[in-house]
Amino acid sequence: MPIYLFIFRRILFTIPLLLGITVVAFILANAVPADPINANLPSNQLNNPELVEAFRREWGLDKPPVEQYLTYLGNLLQGNLGRSIRSRQPIAEDIGRFLPATIELSTVATILGVTFGVSFGVISAVWKNTPVDFLVRTLGLIGISVPLFVLALVGLTVFHAELGWVAGPGRLSVRLSPPPNVTGMYLIDSLLAGQWNVFQDALSRLILPSMVLALYITGMISRITRSSMLDVLRADYIRTARSKGLRERFVVLRHGLSNAMIPIVTAIGLSYGVLLAGAVLTESIFAWPGIGRYMFSASTGQDFPAIMGVSILIAFIYVVVNLVVDVLYYFLDPRVRAA
Amino acid sequence: MIAGVVSAQDETVLVVGHAESTDSLDPARGYTQTTGIINKVTYETLVTFPSDSASEIVPLLATDWTISEDGLTYTFNLRAGVTFANGDPLTADDVVFSVNRLANVVGNPSFLAANIASVTADDEDTVTFVLNAVDPAFLSNLSNSAFGITNDAQVIDAGGSAAEDAATADAAETFLNGTSAGTGPYILEAWESDVQTVLVRNPTYWGTAPFFDRIIIVNIPEAATQAVALESGEIDIALDLTSDQMPGFEGNADIAVASVPGNIVHFLLMNNNPDIGGPMSNPLVQRAVRLALDYEGFATLWGGINPGTIMAVGQQYAFTPEQGIARDLDAARALLTEAGYPEGFDITLQYPTFTFQGVNMDTNAQKIQSDLAEVGINVTLEPGELSVSLEQYRTGQQGFGYWFWGPDVLDSIDVLSFLPGGKVGAERANWTDENSEAVIQELREAARVATDPAEREQLFTDIQTYLQENGPWAPFLQPNVQTAFRADLQGYVWHPQWLIDLAILSR
Repeated sequence: MPIYLFIFRRILFTIPLLLGITVVAFILANAVPADPINANLPSNQLNNPELVEAFRREWGLDKPPVEQYLTYLGNLLQGNLGRSIRSRQPIAEDIGRFLPATIELSTVATILGVTFGVSFGVISAVWKNTPVDFLVRTLGLIGISVPLFVLALVGLTVFHAELGWVAGPGRLSVRLSPPPNVTGMYLIDSLLAGQWNVFQDALSRLILPSMVLALYITGMISRITRSSMLDVLRADYIRTARSKGLRERFVVLRHGLSNAMIPIVTAIGLSYGVLLAGAVLTESIFAWPGIGRYMFSASTGQDFPAIMGVSILIAFIYVVVNLVVDVLYYFLDPRVRAA
Repeated sequence: MIAGVVSAQDETVLVVGHAESTDSLDPARGYTQTTGIINKVTYETLVTFPSDSASEIVPLLATDWTISEDGLTYTFNLRAGVTFANGDPLTADDVVFSVNRLANVVGNPSFLAANIASVTADDEDTVTFVLNAVDPAFLSNLSNSAFGITNDAQVIDAGGSAAEDAATADAAETFLNGTSAGTGPYILEAWESDVQTVLVRNPTYWGTAPFFDRIIIVNIPEAATQAVALESGEIDIALDLTSDQMPGFEGNADIAVASVPGNIVHFLLMNNNPDIGGPMSNPLVQRAVRLALDYEGFATLWGGINPGTIMAVGQQYAFTPEQGIARDLDAARALLTEAGYPEGFDITLQYPTFTFQGVNMDTNAQKIQSDLAEVGINVTLEPGELSVSLEQYRTGQQGFGYWFWGPDVLDSIDVLSFLPGGKVGAERANWTDENSEAVIQELREAARVATDPAEREQLFTDIQTYLQENGPWAPFLQPNVQTAFRADLQGYVWHPQWLIDLAILSR
């Protein structure tokens, strides 16, 4: 099957999935046994039926749920996520303000985590049951089992407050102003604008949160890489490759790792999603103004349009990441191409 | 804008770490701690409190005022030479506009203006308020930053309206969320919600110029992160620390700590409607619960005091901790027996899963459970998500609930809302004129209009004495407020109304 057809088919499959996500998000947002007018209208307006009525009309709360959903879906298809009840801004704008911070953090963390995770996993598999292997596996176990907020707080206390190796919470020193907005990601924007001092500060603030998140990914990826590699290294074709007299490094990386990659790629895709969804806690501790923080404020304020907007966005990113993973399978596994 | 570096080297900057909690910086709409802290320095009111207490009313934009014989008409003379940050002079019209706008946008703080029948400009610098009813708390109300005077021309230009239909017609909120239109020592330069707020010094301020050129309030939601940022010097002051973090600063010469009783009172609600409250609606049981709580234990647990009554200690005429209820388990058991529950009973305690100013409600609920178990009341805990639990509370559906409150107005009169027929008393606890005694209703009516200090003191003393014996409330804790700051920061003082006056800090 040619690649474009493969991608086209995969995209077709995602359409019902995305629809399902909007339904679930809508139902969940409406299932909370609390009326949004109580959270969003001043208490003295609640006593005024006219103002309550006006609020319900403005936010479409006077319509039956099915009609509310269809209206929402119609707007969504036109790229309109609605307005936030809390900030009264278009949700797309709010997301545009907060999402880049999360993407920047998650991406850097994923790059670090995958690099370390795959390397450690390979090392662990090749030197199976040696002290190196035990060390890597212990590290992996810590990464997975210690809660992120503990790592985050310990990291801040030790590396920022005590040792002063990295900068503190937040994306940028309050004494600096953000670089001109192009992508919303400070590392990229500051380089584009040639603001070296902003880049340095942003980087020094990104290191700790991304390392904390990366530790989790490293733990997960290294374990999967190790077991996948152990399976592959026992395979006949590896023995064949060795018996052909190929260099060991070539055998491990070219014949071993590339065949062990499929479960690893799946895990990478999943972990990216976990990072986005788990952003609420890390962003809170690192005072990182990202989508997790926005989501938290939206939930506590019962800002329905915002909750739905962010839920759908995160689900959408998940779906896209999975699509990318599927496409990677296409390249990694000839059997997928043949199917 | 200069790329990268904005602040010049010699600029004095104060960095405040704060868990932001606001959806509006419009004085007529925002009514949260964050809004109060910011608007305290960007807007000014006609009258205010001293910098360290709420014990008296002092002049601010008004230099003096007269009150009519019948207590209904207040006439204020405005201070001469005051200008708004944009250079416009302050006039009586600005005051009239601001007050009418507050009343008519029907925002969260608009209730503060509900008793104002009219406000008129007699001339350029004289304003007259006429009240609907005598209100001993009127001047305290006027001290709230919701009554901050805005520049009418600027606000009208931005779509503002003070007309009767302002609730739908006023469109100035977005403008006021981006800049301030007041006479205060600082100007709001930018508010990036959930991220940070930037204030710059008002160069034309009429009063004493503040020390800092620029104040940056950074949103740091986690108390633990605030502590780390304070230790490393990233921030100068942390506003939302908890009592258990304070020992961590001991021996750190760079950090100073202040801890004073706040004005939040944690209390139990026992619904007076037997269908909802069950045994908790029985006055004898209500008294028994008050006698069964371990007040000293709560105070030690968080650092704080035993509130004498539901009125926060420190308010005018409020009881002291020493006058508070002392635990007496035998008396509590006797009352339960008298009420017909010699073996106690089972009850569910509803409360929100919430931590406010470092006090964790789950922990307190567990202590309530164990305290009451000692007199045979078997409590099942039912924590709920805040907004869900709040709805049950507001609609009076909780039989036995745990909440906290802080005064809306810094006047003793605020406690009347907890009495029969009051906002909290009737709507949350079903304590009404029908199911309450005449004596407390008479006290309530008298306290509502009394203005003579001696008479007020007697009335509020009687009300508190009554509340210790009767009623659906069991207040049990008034926690301390902790603030830690860099040791070189001068002038910090906690205030019951605006919490902190950023304009009086210096280095």
